[in-house]
Amino acid sequence: MEKRWKMALITVGVAAAFAGGLLFAQMRSGSYGSTNGASIGQGAAPELTPDAKYDVGPYRSFTPELAEGDGKLEVQSFCATCHSTRYITMQPPLPGATWEAEVNKMMKVYGAPVPEAAAKKITAYLQAHYAPENRKE
Amino acid sequence: MERMKRSLSRRNALKLLGATGGGLALASWTNWGRALAQVPNGAKQLESFTGPGANPHWNSVGPYVTEPQKAPLILVTDRPVQLETPRNYFRTVFTPNEAFYVRWHLGEIPNGVDLAEWKLRVEGNVNKPLAFSLSELMQKFKPASVAAVNQCSGNSRSRLQPRVPGGQWGNGAMGNAMWTGVRLRELLDAARVKSGSVQVQFEGLDTGAGPKGMGSNRFLKSLDLTNAALDETIVAYLMNGEPLPMLNGFPARLVVPGYFATYWTKSLAWIRVLEAPDENFWMKTAYRIPDTPRGTTTPEDMKAGKVKTVPIERMPVRSFLVSPDGSSKIPVGLGVTLRGMAFSGYGKVVKVEVSDDGGSSWRAAELGEDHGAYSFRSWEAPWTPKTPEKYSITVRATDEKGNVQPDEAVWNAGGYLWNKIEKQELVAGKAN
Repeated sequence: MEKRWKMALITVGVAAAFAGGLLFAQMRSGSYGSTNGASIGQGAAPELTPDAKYDVGPYRSFTPELAEGDGKLEVQSFCATCHSTRYITMQPPLPGATWEAEVNKMMKVYGAPVPEAAAKKITAYLQAHYAPENRKE
Repeated sequence: MERMKRSLSRRNALKLLGATGGGLALASWTNWGRALAQVPNGAKQLESFTGPGANPHWNSVGPYVTEPQKAPLILVTDRPVQLETPRNYFRTVFTPNEAFYVRWHLGEIPNGVDLAEWKLRVEGNVNKPLAFSLSELMQKFKPASVAAVNQCSGNSRSRLQPRVPGGQWGNGAMGNAMWTGVRLRELLDAARVKSGSVQVQFEGLDTGAGPKGMGSNRFLKSLDLTNAALDETIVAYLMNGEPLPMLNGFPARLVVPGYFATYWTKSLAWIRVLEAPDENFWMKTAYRIPDTPRGTTTPEDMKAGKVKTVPIERMPVRSFLVSPDGSSKIPVGLGVTLRGMAFSGYGKVVKVEVSDDGGSSWRAAELGEDHGAYSFRSWEAPWTPKTPEKYSITVRATDEKGNVQPDEAVWNAGGYLWNKIEKQELVAGKAN
């Protein structure tokens, strides 16, 4: 008797599992993933006045995190005079010679007033963190 | 950044599956487990940079950001502002103002303009220097309109091999708008250009922190007075029938149909007639291309100093598949519509062809409404995948001058003129 009951229970269980499996095979649902922080807030509409001044307010800064290392401070103080350091992180990994040429271009062609010692540190920093062999972020 | 990069990995996905109950273990019987690991479920982030290989994505890889008067666009740089238009906005022939890409050169760009003070000046080698307020521009001259594509010279720069420094644009540094304003020739005629004049120079309200006399201080562009492009040039105060967004050059910008955007000076304030060719940095050093067919060369020839350069001018013919964009599978046997657009700086697009075998065989797409020689031209082609596999969809356009989009890459030090045939992988899945 007991054995029969057990057999019946197992049969019902297996049948239920099968039905469930078939049902599930039709679809997959209810998966939402984890919070990933990728949302951006909405800006409120500005208050406008009917005069001749057209102003959209400040543009936003999205300052990237730069790699830690010797020369970071020089990059943040000299390069960022004219442009955001996103000009560095936005680039693909560039060979050392290209970074050297870029720093020279900023000084000689665009006239960036960077002391020689600081320029050397900036070049070495970029070569140490933003070249194909070492770029991480 | 680390937090942003964390993604729903395969292992995490399977752990989640396991946690939701034993019944789900059945999922592995039906291969759902494996499939799940490949579904990003909105959680997988793009890499934060591409290279040293070519950027494999349609757009560049920056995060979405919002700037004043703008929809969320793709960040290239924040100071000065450079934003890229996401692919989906090219579903319409006219790119919405709020989605139109942004590219400035110098850090100090206008946040506001006082129209009680602002004047557009026509000066230099003229008999009668003039200054117009916006209302004078609107009232004194008959408005002219033109549909024209504005494309950054460096659009698609991230495709070049080897990669070159500069704004790492995907394909979204372009847009098409209906521009309305004053014909440049009428302004020049009103000021009466003196004989012996050779060029006309344009300057906007933007300035930079660099020393005076350097390219990092002022952005100046010039065109020859004899250039036929000036006959079609307008000073636009309307973009798609609306005021220009500040980031696209409010209150007025130059529109040079067919030419790359470097000449389309934003927040235009000075039109200057020159007696001698402009030798400022932005003409003599920057925005120059090799004087070779298609403007292509090699890093070796550049290094050897063998390459003569000329200022960049018209845009080569290009075409794009906009949708489907490859982010979803298509069931076999389901008829879908391939949609996109094409343009050329040399004249009207007369033919767009598509291929679903990587370019071995081509068939003509149907062209949309003709909005003029310099506008985007939409195209569409019905397509039904017959077998479940990965297809390589390619598109190529031909313009009225007979220029056909090539399948060869371009390389030059500036990262300009990319117009290689675009390829998009589309995956067809089994339908039963």
